[in-house]
Parts: sequence; structure tokens; C-alpha cells
Amino acid sequence: MNFQVYNRDICVGDIRVIGVSSSSLLMVGDAETIQLAATFDTPAESLIVGPFVPLSPDIS
Amino acid sequence: MITMLQRITCVDHIKIDSVSFSSIFQIGDSEQIQAVSRALAVQREAEIFFDNEGNFDAFTVFSEAIPFQAADDENVTFSTHNLNPVLKVRNIDILGASSSSVVHLGNSRNIAMEARVKHIRQLLPRNNNSGVEGI
Repeated sequence: MNFQVYNRDICVGDIRVIGVSSSSLLMVGDAETIQLAATFDTPAESLIVGPFVPLSPDIS
Repeated sequence: MITMLQRITCVDHIKIDSVSFSSIFQIGDSEQIQAVSRALAVQREAEIFFDNEGNFDAFTVFSEAIPFQAADDENVTFSTHNLNPVLKVRNIDILGASSSSVVHLGNSRNIAMEARVKHIRQLLPRNNNSGVEGI
């Protein structure tokens, strides 16, 4: 496949952003490759109802 | 792609209120960016937290592989023609950049960003005798 891009005038007025978070990227410029990956886990087991038990301690 | 005729980023004014938790505000070109953020988001009905809590190894979300298709996997000939070599932005206003995020003015080559979040909610035991099941 032949993919050709012609970048003409880009002139932006205002960019207003509340937050850029969790390995997000806000970029004004060019890049060759951008890889974004995210895992987000909220399974049923993550809702724990019962006597208070601390999470497994950080052993590292 | 961005070897010979690179575009120039021109930002007249930028305001960022906070850059926190290993975030980066980069002005100028870069070659490679790799960012990883891991978070255990625990919400508790009772306000009890211990300082040694939380072990990433105990949850698979933090270790499972995220498969990617290699960038050069597809047979694509790619060419860009920068007829106007200036990217112009008058004003940027950002409240906050957090958790390994990047605000970048300028060009880069290879960027890889990764975020892994595990949500846990812990509620106090409650009497379900009223017949109301679940929360």
C-alpha cells in the first residue's frame, strides 16, 4: 500500500485540557510510531463486602 | 518520515498547572518515549489504609502481556510532504498531567505508553435481612 500525506497549514487557536493522566500523551508535533496500551480491571471479585481485610502487603 | 524536512512546532503560550507522578513536559524533539504507569485504586467505606498494602504481583492485570502488532508488519510505503513546515498553536491550557503522562511540544520517533489500573472497592459488612440484595 502506498500512503501519502500532504501536511498543509495547521493553525490551532486554543487547546484547553483538564487532565492528561495514566500514561496519556498530548503532543504537538510529529511522531513515527505511537503505541498506546491500557488495562483496566474492575471485576466482580474486586467488590469486597465483609470484614475488613487489608490487601496483600508489598513484599518487594 | 521525519528525517529531512521536519515540521517545527510553534506554541505562543502554554500553561500547565501541575505535572505530577513521573509525568513529563517536554519542549523540543525527542527520539524515544516509553512510559509505564501502574495503579491500585482502592476505595473503602471505612477510612482505613495501611502503609505497606498492595502488591502488584498479586494481580494479573499488572503482568499480563498486551499484544501488539509490529509496526513494520504491514507492507506500507509511507511518505509525507510537509508543505507548511510549521505547526502553529496560539494557546494551550492544561490543568494537570499525572501518572506517567507526557505533554510534548516537538517531534519524536517512537512512543510507547502503557497504563495498568486495578480497581478494588471494599465495603463494610451490612445486614441484608431487609430483603434488599446487593448494592
